[in-house]
Amino acid sequence: MKHAIEVDNVSKCFRLSGGTRTLKSAALDLLRSRDHREAFWALKNASFNVKKGETVGIIGANGAGKSTLLALIASTMYPTSGTIRTEGSISSLLELGAGFHPDLSGRENVFLAGAIMGIPRTRMEERFDAIVDFAELHEYIDEPVKHYSSGMYVRLGFAVAVEVDPEILLIDEVLAVGDAVFEMKCLGRMADFRRRGKSMLIISHDLQTVQEVSDRIMLLEHGEIQQVGNPSNVVAQYQALSELRHRDGLRKEWGSREMEMTRIETHDAAGEPSQSFACGDEVEVRIHYHASARIVSPVFGFAISDDNGRVIAGSNCQAERITMPDLDGDGYVVLRIPSLSIAKGKYLLSFSVHSSDHSVNYHRLDNCFPIEVAASEEFAGVYLKTEWSIQAIND
Amino acid sequence: MNRFLHDLWRNRELLQLLVARNIKIRYKSSILGFVWTLLNPILFIGIYAMFLGLLKVAIALPLLVSGVIVWSFLDMCLGDSLYAVIGNTNLIKKTSFSRPTLPVAMVLSNLVNFVLSLIILGCYLIFARVSPQHLWLLPVFVLSQTALCLGLALIISAMNVYFRDTEHILAVVKLAWFFMTPIIYPISFVFDQVSPTLQKAAFLNPMTGLVTAYRWVLMSEDIIAPQLVTMSHAICWGVLAVGILIFQRAERGFADEL
Repeated sequence: MKHAIEVDNVSKCFRLSGGTRTLKSAALDLLRSRDHREAFWALKNASFNVKKGETVGIIGANGAGKSTLLALIASTMYPTSGTIRTEGSISSLLELGAGFHPDLSGRENVFLAGAIMGIPRTRMEERFDAIVDFAELHEYIDEPVKHYSSGMYVRLGFAVAVEVDPEILLIDEVLAVGDAVFEMKCLGRMADFRRRGKSMLIISHDLQTVQEVSDRIMLLEHGEIQQVGNPSNVVAQYQALSELRHRDGLRKEWGSREMEMTRIETHDAAGEPSQSFACGDEVEVRIHYHASARIVSPVFGFAISDDNGRVIAGSNCQAERITMPDLDGDGYVVLRIPSLSIAKGKYLLSFSVHSSDHSVNYHRLDNCFPIEVAASEEFAGVYLKTEWSIQAIND
Repeated sequence: MNRFLHDLWRNRELLQLLVARNIKIRYKSSILGFVWTLLNPILFIGIYAMFLGLLKVAIALPLLVSGVIVWSFLDMCLGDSLYAVIGNTNLIKKTSFSRPTLPVAMVLSNLVNFVLSLIILGCYLIFARVSPQHLWLLPVFVLSQTALCLGLALIISAMNVYFRDTEHILAVVKLAWFFMTPIIYPISFVFDQVSPTLQKAAFLNPMTGLVTAYRWVLMSEDIIAPQLVTMSHAICWGVLAVGILIFQRAERGFADEL
């Protein structure tokens, strides 16, 4: 077997129940001869291999199934279907100091943690000094760990896990807990680990670090492996995806719907449909409407927000002293921005149509239309025409 | 069963550490520490002796003392088994190791206590001038009772992961069981009162056979029905086998449920 880890078509299903199951609900399930708790597939048909000596990073949003995957490989859980094969001893850092008991001393906990990992006592005795050295806990090693600071606690947890010298190391987001010095030390130890041809699987939200330490990166989404490949490519794809998600999250559509905006088109100066402009370009927006009944002089408005949803500019036709006629049926309103004077960046357009006294919102499309300003001079936000002059005072 | 024992043997160092941990932690923050293990049964015996006297139930003190001490081993195991698994949620979810070591370590730590209290019981019996017989059989009975305790601990600790109602059911069952076992009354009481069929039924409760057997060796009580006592012992080992099967089936889902 030239792979350290082989994951073949693995799925994991959890049964969700509102709180802990009681005997009553369990008995009811038995009567119905089925488990009626809602199924949640944390992992779907995952297949991949980790070669010996390879480091694979796992990235993805919260709830994507990263920790479940690691727990399955560490065999704290069993897959619902599929098989996982591993070769060599595994040390898992699903949580630093997971096996520690607060009332026991550091020394006792080191041996207990070793025994939990299946390391013979004699070997732990050989390693003990190195563990204490790495954790820098010399004078405190015989104190109960409940008196440790959280930093001391995680240092000891990490020290035990790496000093037992496994063939495979599984790490779940543990680098984020220590201080900078400790993190450097951990990264150093991981690099050393890598040089000696051991395999690692690392979950991290720190994209920069994970990209640096990994040979390949896996992107998980909704329990499915989206991609396994070159670190910088996968990280770039994940970042683009996150941005899209973020924009979707800002998106909002609402209103009483007597009148609707059915379609929005943005055109450049040449009249071609476009979402990308340069600062100062002319932009023409066509707001297609549909009114199911006659609407008395509606007011159309628009806003430009930055990619965090903060409005940076906005106006409506009323503010421009334009009164719309009463509208009925279909048609489109043209909004012309003679000069899009905003700084380079990504923006979201919002549109609204409401009654002239602002009491009824017929239809609102908030942050629904992304546009990009690809190039601009160096300035921030909305361009303000400014004048500069010098009045030198010479003695 | 084979796999179970093999697994435990492989994890003997872990077991040893867990037993040490359990014993250490139990008495860590109490002032009297280990003394409680002895003080508890003594206080209970005092209470029972007083009320049995008031109720005019005739039972010799050595019988009562041995009954309560034997029962307390089971009682402690049942109580602790509720938390043997769910009390180690972090270990179950975050580390992979042989799961049966948790209930086994719990029963073994209670066994240590039990053996110590048996020694104290022995001192008391010498003081009370009660003479034992066939003492070499004592370890056999202790082993049978350990099998029973472990079997039940495996079942209860696994059940409590899935159904938290277990705790409430156990409280009631324990109380009923206590009164169905000849602890605060002599076994002759059962033989005097009920029909032969019900006598047999009484020994389906393995504790009846165990308590009878302990009293037989410790204070030379006559055994009225040796074959029934043997049956009780067989049941103890049967419970262990069932416990192992149930636990092995249940443990795969522990991390999902906790």
